[in-house]
Amino acid sequence: MSGGEILLENFLQALTAGLMVGTIYGVMCVGLGLIFGVMRVINFAQGDFLMLGMYASLYVIGGFGLMTTLGPYWAPYVGAVLAGPVLFIGGYLLHQHLISRVTGFRALGVENEGHYAQLILTLGVSLVLQNGGLIVFGSEPQAVKTPLSARAWEIGPFVGDNVSVFLNQARGYAGLAAIVIGVALYLFISRTRLGKSLRAAADNPNAAIYMGIDVDRAHRIAFALGTAITATAGGLVATSYPFQPYVGFDFVIIMYAGVVLGGMGSILGAFWGGLTIGMVQQMSTLVLSPQLQNAAIFVIFLLIVLIRPQGLFGRSVERT
Amino acid sequence: MLVIEALTVAYGGLTALSEVSLTVEAGQFVAIVGPNGAGKTTLFKTISGTVAPVSGRITYEGRDLLAVPPPRRAHLGIAHVPEGRQVFASLSVLENLEMGAQPAAGRANWTRNIERIFALFPVLAERRTQLAGTLSGGEQQMLAIGRGLASSPRVLLLDEPSMGLAPAVADMIFERIGEIHRDDGVTILLVEQRVAEALESCDHGYVLETGRVVLEGPHQSLLADERVKRAYLGMCRCRGRGRARAN
Amino acid sequence: MGLLRDRSLIPIGLFAAAYLGIALVVQNSYYLLILTLVPIWAVMGLSWNVLSGYSGLISFGHASFFGLGAYTVTLAMVEFNITPWLGIPLGMVVGVVAAVLIGVPTFRLRGHYFALSMLAYPLALLYIFQWLGYQEVTQPMKRDNPAAFMQFHDDLRVYAVLALAMMVVVILVSLRVERSRFGMSLLAIKQNEAAAEAAGIDTLKWKMLALMLSGAIAAAAGGLYSVVQVLITPESVFGMLTSAQALIVTLFGGVGTVWGPVIGASVLIPLSEGLQAELGSKLPGIQGVVYGLAIIIIILVAPEGVFWKVRDRLVGRRGSVAAAQETVAVSSAPVGAVPHRVLPAPVGGRTILELTGVSKAFGGLKAVQDVSFAVEQGMILGIIGPNGAGKTTLFNLLNGFLKTDAGTVKFEGHDLIGLKTNRVCRLGIGRTFQVVRVFQRMTVLQNVIVGAYVAEADDARAALLACDALARVGLADHADALAGGLTNKQLRLLELARALAGQPKLLLLDETLAGLAHGEIDDLLEVIRGLRQDGITVVIIEHTMHAMVRLADRFLVLDHGRVLASGLPGDVVEDPNVVEAYLGKKWLARARH
Repeated sequence: MSGGEILLENFLQALTAGLMVGTIYGVMCVGLGLIFGVMRVINFAQGDFLMLGMYASLYVIGGFGLMTTLGPYWAPYVGAVLAGPVLFIGGYLLHQHLISRVTGFRALGVENEGHYAQLILTLGVSLVLQNGGLIVFGSEPQAVKTPLSARAWEIGPFVGDNVSVFLNQARGYAGLAAIVIGVALYLFISRTRLGKSLRAAADNPNAAIYMGIDVDRAHRIAFALGTAITATAGGLVATSYPFQPYVGFDFVIIMYAGVVLGGMGSILGAFWGGLTIGMVQQMSTLVLSPQLQNAAIFVIFLLIVLIRPQGLFGRSVERT
Repeated sequence: MLVIEALTVAYGGLTALSEVSLTVEAGQFVAIVGPNGAGKTTLFKTISGTVAPVSGRITYEGRDLLAVPPPRRAHLGIAHVPEGRQVFASLSVLENLEMGAQPAAGRANWTRNIERIFALFPVLAERRTQLAGTLSGGEQQMLAIGRGLASSPRVLLLDEPSMGLAPAVADMIFERIGEIHRDDGVTILLVEQRVAEALESCDHGYVLETGRVVLEGPHQSLLADERVKRAYLGMCRCRGRGRARAN
Repeated sequence: MGLLRDRSLIPIGLFAAAYLGIALVVQNSYYLLILTLVPIWAVMGLSWNVLSGYSGLISFGHASFFGLGAYTVTLAMVEFNITPWLGIPLGMVVGVVAAVLIGVPTFRLRGHYFALSMLAYPLALLYIFQWLGYQEVTQPMKRDNPAAFMQFHDDLRVYAVLALAMMVVVILVSLRVERSRFGMSLLAIKQNEAAAEAAGIDTLKWKMLALMLSGAIAAAAGGLYSVVQVLITPESVFGMLTSAQALIVTLFGGVGTVWGPVIGASVLIPLSEGLQAELGSKLPGIQGVVYGLAIIIIILVAPEGVFWKVRDRLVGRRGSVAAAQETVAVSSAPVGAVPHRVLPAPVGGRTILELTGVSKAFGGLKAVQDVSFAVEQGMILGIIGPNGAGKTTLFNLLNGFLKTDAGTVKFEGHDLIGLKTNRVCRLGIGRTFQVVRVFQRMTVLQNVIVGAYVAEADDARAALLACDALARVGLADHADALAGGLTNKQLRLLELARALAGQPKLLLLDETLAGLAHGEIDDLLEVIRGLRQDGITVVIIEHTMHAMVRLADRFLVLDHGRVLASGLPGDVVEDPNVVEAYLGKKWLARARH
């Protein structure tokens, strides 16, 4: 193999990995983007919902014995999808009892429309979940095991017989599952009456009330759904990424970066933002040491925020 | 149909409405006029529930409206076309109309309503797939009214529908409002700064100043009232003085 | 400043003395560690408070400065054998430099974006320090001369005393800030940044200074922390918990007061450290859970913190910023001791402001198109036109809130294009707003003092100017009232006084009469005419035609961003174009009755 061919192979390898990881990041970001888009609340605890999704998936698989009933191929993905409803309920209750007390119409008219209180409340929730997670789950790294993670598809060879790309099957199926979830969400948001009502409530909460839309209920659904989506993405990540209660940190900035990149408030933009971040992250391994990967994401995040705060894909949503 | 009694509203220590009372009979066209900041928009927001009053009562078709949660009020047949239009900018024209049709009556009569809306405002039919935020000001106003009509309302609250519109467009909007009142039998409560136009189309008018009703009566008597003429319609007395001083 | 004679320092002195007494008596090394950590985290909270508490810009990234301070001290010692006695000041310099590097880009952002970006800095630094190979760095023991290297591990009481001393110094610095124009400017920024800028406050400068001071203080806390702990890791100093702890102790204790961080740290640090020691082995995350619950409960129960809650219970609320009020309470000072600038009598025909071809578009919408006009000194120009005609946009272009796309604006020979808002105000252009923008939680007098800073470098004299401005608009009796509780008319007058306190030559009044009753309008007209007597030129946007024709010398009519007509009021109202676009045909018909 020539140097050029190695370079090409590495590039293609990073590209496919970026695509697979990126679709999962995209779904993760949609969860955060939905919450921000509808409620205008930046949720600090989103990374911890992801973490809870991972553990929920792990325990659902273990608790229902999915490995034996469904077999090792299906179980991790069914587990990830089931983590969604579990966290939906969690998010719903969290909003009902805590978040709603500082958001929505109660927050209007408060200084900064209550943003101050919202950021700090979700920071508190994040600290409790993370550290509570440490108490409940322990600090031992866990993994959802699938035999697929030891297998890969070979794409190629091309350019003579030398260059081929290996695609880890666990990641591949997780990526496919993410695409399915993404399409389903797109249909929900753009076609159903409930989806449209959520967008209307996000667009103009006052006018939504005049139309007879219960904005507080819309917020609750958005919060619960956003939690569930990110948790499902967490379940998918768990098939190829060992995790512990602090794992949220590894992803929280990825999510913020994706949402900002997609244009804060744009739910679909968040998907493209997350996908882009995944690509950038995997491509950065070609030139940076792995330790600097995350730092690179921070730098990109800062650059986006500074240069184009309205995002690459979104319209400006900041109102003056 | 809609009875407001001694309504007082305050935000942050500032009294926006004090002891406002007014009555709207079914089928009537009632106009509320007054200067900027007189509390007209606050009155509408209180009816719709996005602002809570300090005291007073609102009765709608015999029931205590203040006891109804704000989002349920639209379902009782009250359609609020807010100040500054407030269309859902990121939704298409058709989706905006669909959002208007949340109440059961609106859903049931969807096909008929949409035909009527498109007949009143044909430009909305042409632009049905366009995002509402890309419409012109006049088109957005038409959409906002159409969105209100999509709920099959019994009473339509119109907050400054002429705001920021060219006179010709504003005239057209006023004509359509007249048609909606006449042909569809919808009760109209209109808030306007364009005093002459508003008072001319209504059955009954109220003049609101710094949160109080200072005058009310059938439209002829208001139009003939010396105070209204001086404050809102005419300025004969003042004009001479202005000129004299400037020289 | 008279800081030493200040009675409010007594509680601080008592607290410090009591704390010192306890620290000197305690022998148990674990308790001494807690007694050292309490002031360190109080200092960290005070640092956060200087930026976020006063200015309202929430920082989730104070760990950047803390960590840089800790690593500067440690690496200076490890690599260059520099004692922490020098290392801590060095770390503070690094903190200041980092503050500038972070502030320059980040202050372009507001609200959510600012908070989120601040979060990214310490996390990026964490990864960078890991990559640099500083996973665990230990300060070497200096057995021969420990004191020279700030090593007092044999007598831990010294650390407690050092930390206490640091805290007292930082409290004094904070008080100094709080009671000067620095603190007042930050407070004004917190409540309404645009209004502060329009009142001549250089908001960027004060925010930057606050971040620099805050960065230096946090770096000092981090430096001392590293000396006490001996071993540091990127996670322990740059981690999220560090930033969170700064914010939590302050929020818990109370935002915007020096007592907040002190109370917060005194309660939370012993609690969480104690739980960690008791239960840490069984429940490893208990510290974080306690902090998390503490802020959740605080936000729900007492969102402004324990200090304010208790204070409200005890004394009732007499102005939330009473501390600042005490030092600038000059309302009893003889009014007019510093007379306001009396401008030369208007010289007929001298142009003070001239616009040529000014245009501004938002996307496709041409808000202001090719507008040209001149304002002569001493005149009152009335700008009228339908809603959306571009009137307020024009004011925003004039005072620098918006950048013009084309055209020139000359004010007394100065080119205004490209000037920042506070510079425009400094040149002598004051403005009021369509929707009143006062500093709600400051007193009437404080509001006006903020407006006076631009005209007067000395704080006490600025206060006198403010009193004078209040007297001119007739609000002197309300000087100590909170702005949030005023009536509409009083708010309008307050905005006018704030603009006047800056000794403007030109006033831009945006719908100052909106929402007023007839009698009230007359009062305001009287005040505005009085300003003209003092030689101030006025440009006023107004809808109330009958008031306008009584006030203005000339009219300028805008429609769809263009000048539709201008001239004497009597001519303008009969101009057929104006009637068509703005007044309506019916209006003219009725006016002729």
